[in-house]
Amino acid sequence: MPMAALFNIHWGDYTSDLLDGLVKTIEFTIVGFAGAALLGLVLALMRLSAVRAVRAPAAVYTELFKNIPLLAIIFLTYFGLPSQGVRLSVFQAGALSLILFYAAYLSEIFRSAIAGVHGGQREAAEALGMSRGATFAQVIFPQALRSALPGTNTMLVDLLKSTSLLVTISAAELMSQGQLIASETFRALEVYVVIAALYFALCYPFSQGLLWFERQIRAGVPLAPRRRRRLRQARVLLGKEIVA
Amino acid sequence: MSTSSADVAVRIEGLHKSYDGREVIKGVSLEVPTQRIVSIIGQSGGGKTTLLRCVNLLERPDRAEMQIAGEAVFAGERMVCRDLARLRQKVGMVFQRFNLFPHLTAVENVLLAQVTAARVPESEALERAVQLLRRVGLGHRATAYPEQMSGGEQQRVAIARALALRPTVLLFDEPTSSLDPESTGEVLRVMRELAEDGMTMLLVTHELPFAQEVSDWVVFIDRGLIVEQGPPVDVLQHPREERTKAYVSTYASHFEGGLAEAQRVMGI
Repeated sequence: MPMAALFNIHWGDYTSDLLDGLVKTIEFTIVGFAGAALLGLVLALMRLSAVRAVRAPAAVYTELFKNIPLLAIIFLTYFGLPSQGVRLSVFQAGALSLILFYAAYLSEIFRSAIAGVHGGQREAAEALGMSRGATFAQVIFPQALRSALPGTNTMLVDLLKSTSLLVTISAAELMSQGQLIASETFRALEVYVVIAALYFALCYPFSQGLLWFERQIRAGVPLAPRRRRRLRQARVLLGKEIVA
Repeated sequence: MSTSSADVAVRIEGLHKSYDGREVIKGVSLEVPTQRIVSIIGQSGGGKTTLLRCVNLLERPDRAEMQIAGEAVFAGERMVCRDLARLRQKVGMVFQRFNLFPHLTAVENVLLAQVTAARVPESEALERAVQLLRRVGLGHRATAYPEQMSGGEQQRVAIARALALRPTVLLFDEPTSSLDPESTGEVLRVMRELAEDGMTMLLVTHELPFAQEVSDWVVFIDRGLIVEQGPPVDVLQHPREERTKAYVSTYASHFEGGLAEAQRVMGI
């Protein structure tokens, strides 16, 4: 089939619809990921607790939500909860579903990353009189973050793509916009090729950016402004002494 | 070694510690007077490291009377130290496996506890970190990460880190056990300089020649008990107890090669 026959729709008419869809997709991704990361971290810390009563509910949660399809969670929150008097907007239900589902996966990644930090690190920090909070924030967490990054980044891109499932509750994200355009134009192939290309254009640079970020951190490039300032000042103090 | 309490950096009486019902320290008493160096020697698994880790309460004794710098920190079966963080700032520790923070550069390793635990102002902490790195001969490596440094360099950074909080006493847990002879020489040289500067130290070591050279007092521990203690020449050259004799002769022959190398590197 020649290209001219494939691309027939006057896409200029739909630019703003597609842009709205893109923005909505990004909003779902940001809110969903931020919430999932936060809940995932809490769950991971709970699962590392010495207290069984704290550990157990987090373990049950993780196993539960890891073994239910995301689509089922979306239907439950949007179509199921109203029967119990909980009426969520499309955005609330969509974001909540993403948070609930991805928190389970992220908690597994975070848990193994935190547990993987060598015990000597906590001891060294304790021996220096650092508080538990400071030890976690300054010693454990930064190291866990480094080993959690690859898995977390995979989940983040996966979450972005999974926002397309929200088409089932007409969440006005990219896939939903595509469905609307397809039903207006009856040109499913063309529309969904464009939609797929847009997802690719969004995900590919994004995942490459995350890889770049991972490499920077692994190469020891200080990203926090405070660390940059400290190292700059150290170089000033040491002047020509520094060789490395 | 009886001294008034003001001159005693660490005083331990009747320390007991067990794991899962197995007693690994069976009532040990020990004193480290200020500006003195006490070495603990003995077979691996004899309780040396556990004893050391009880001093800064990384391990909690089952029972002990313990005072650090004249302040009671443990009495009977209870910790009486109100401020554990402050106690630990008074007791610096150097680990066998260095335990540097791998995500931070050398200078940040030395700086971190100063700003987070001791609330030293940023610029002051940084200056002190740089000065301490110079003192251990590593000013030029300040912005290197641990993985870019040799074992000897890492351990010297770890010593600088332990010194950053101006501790009353420094604990060394087999500081050269995971180092090659050349790195061992570097680390021992730094420790010798600290000794000359009057730093109070309690060290667990297998480096008998070094222990003999720097220590004021040597304690031989076996199976959770002090078997013999005294001035280094007495314990290491003329041990009275059979178990001490056996240990000293094993390690003396074992370390002759290592000692020659260490001496070559240190230029002694």
